[in-house]
Amino acid sequence: MALLLQRIFDGLFNSAIYASLAISLVFIYRATGLLNFAQGELATFSAYVGFLLVRPTELALAGGALVAFLPGLPWPVPLAILGAVLFGMAAGALTERLLFRPLEGRPVLSVVNISIGMLIAINALSAELWTTRPRLFPSPFPSAPDDFIGIGGARLRFESIGVWLTLLGVLMILGFFLHRSKAGLAFRAITANRESAQLVGINVGRTLMIGWAVAAGIGALAATLVADAVLLEPNMMLRLLIFSFAAATIGGLDSPGGAVIGALIVGLTQTLVPGYTFVPTELSMLPPLLAMLVVLLVKPTGLFGQKRVERV
Amino acid sequence: MLVMLALIALPLVTDPIQLRRYASLVVLSLGVLGVVVATGHAGLISLGHGIFVGIGAFSMATFVDNYRLPFLIALPMSFLVTAAVGWLLGLPALRIKGIYLALVTLGFGIMFPALAKQFPSYTGGVSGRAVDAEFNPPAWTGLDPDGDAVLWRYGFCVLVCGLMFWMTANVLNGRMGRAMQAVRDDETSAASFGIDLPRVKAGAFSLSAGLAGVGGALQVVLFPFVSHEQFSIFLSFRLYAAALLGGVATIAGAVYGVVALVLIPAINDAFQLLENDVIVFGVGLILLTFVSPDGLAGLVHRAASGNKFDGVWGNVRRRYSGS
Repeated sequence: MALLLQRIFDGLFNSAIYASLAISLVFIYRATGLLNFAQGELATFSAYVGFLLVRPTELALAGGALVAFLPGLPWPVPLAILGAVLFGMAAGALTERLLFRPLEGRPVLSVVNISIGMLIAINALSAELWTTRPRLFPSPFPSAPDDFIGIGGARLRFESIGVWLTLLGVLMILGFFLHRSKAGLAFRAITANRESAQLVGINVGRTLMIGWAVAAGIGALAATLVADAVLLEPNMMLRLLIFSFAAATIGGLDSPGGAVIGALIVGLTQTLVPGYTFVPTELSMLPPLLAMLVVLLVKPTGLFGQKRVERV
Repeated sequence: MLVMLALIALPLVTDPIQLRRYASLVVLSLGVLGVVVATGHAGLISLGHGIFVGIGAFSMATFVDNYRLPFLIALPMSFLVTAAVGWLLGLPALRIKGIYLALVTLGFGIMFPALAKQFPSYTGGVSGRAVDAEFNPPAWTGLDPDGDAVLWRYGFCVLVCGLMFWMTANVLNGRMGRAMQAVRDDETSAASFGIDLPRVKAGAFSLSAGLAGVGGALQVVLFPFVSHEQFSIFLSFRLYAAALLGGVATIAGAVYGVVALVLIPAINDAFQLLENDVIVFGVGLILLTFVSPDGLAGLVHRAASGNKFDGVWGNVRRRYSGS
């Protein structure tokens, strides 16, 4: 019983991370119909920037000289995370403007090329700048060994609670942005019908840039929050990206709520299935991957997605 | 032509250890060719071709060691095994298209090393496996079985690669190749011309997997060791990037891709520029998508024929102006 509870708690922690990344993927997919494979690497890179702010003097850390101009280093963890998120937002906006907007109307292959090219380049750049040595990114939440609430013999760590509360906060801010702000309204208009949005005078380019910035910011936040649990290293997000894509696909690629549900399903199967079946822990990626495959084959809209009609 | 000369010159200018290293890149050309067939000709975006290189290598190692088959029989068998696996993995591609297929292949590509570890009797598990059987020059060649073994293996690999390229060129120029291109350009109209979509797609993916598998099998000929670590997702990325850098629309593109695949690490080694040269593939992929979507092959072709080519920057300017 205690073990079951523990596995559920662990699964919930993972789910929160997948949910954040999945939401950022969904955000971009809704507006542009694009799967951004570089989302994870962009987030990792931002997390490294955050790490620079919080541990500027660590060994083999390029850029230490650059951030030395900032006052008050090393910054406290929450401030460093904010820095990483802001960096991520800027990087996301630039990516949209410089790499994706000029390619509008080009075939899918071009878009895949750009995002895969970015994935490879950013991953290698992180390794080049900061080496592949795993780094201990401090958690913003109390994470000492005895910072947990015991429930039925299982440990619900403060860190998990913190990550979930952060996720809820992000969802609320996101909802506020989408439904109460002008940019959010424009974003929703573009999602619903791009041409009509353009006709009523919405600046599509600028709005998409904001959308990309928000998505990349959420990704950066997810990366900094998970970095304590999986250690910060250049390949950190590769596996997480697939889990998050699986979550987004299962929930429906254009549904943010679906992404959270999908993340719950993926996170829980990841810890429960290897625990109770013959699937070894190392293959914990297999069930979500197969689920994603089945969803794409049988019901490409996912559980909560809207049907898209394709015209020939 | 130039490439052929370079392949012949390579053993003359390098020592055996370097030769073996470049040879292992030359055999990856079959992986690049596989991507060209699947992605360029059949329109099936594959980000996971490292899987097939891996399966080819593991099955080769299994055939020559576990079953003690001669290399010359094990090689075509590895092709068949990989092609069969490719056919199976290609089945979802009958329904999943475009960017979603890229996603699925990426997922399996990332998982492949972990999966390979679970079958230690074939793959050697966590630590990989050494291959005892050696591919040595037979007596009639008059080559020294110790000193010239690397040269002999290199020659054999180049020969096999040449054969596979020739075979693939014939397939692509034939009925099957035309059918694949028709499917890539417009599935609906291809089907209305009586093209059997499932057969063409599965066939193309199977062929492309088989090619990559031979590339993997040849690595076993060169190196008596295989491990899951060699077939990480970055191998798949390298193959994909090389194919797109070269140009996926033509066989010539695959050749250019291989040149990039060999030259980039060589230049990097010579000047000691970067820790890991894979970054060049990433940046190159982005740049060429802007400058010349049909890759180096397209760039060279336009420059040579002199029409519709206003320089590299003309293309970039057009992309950015007016947006």
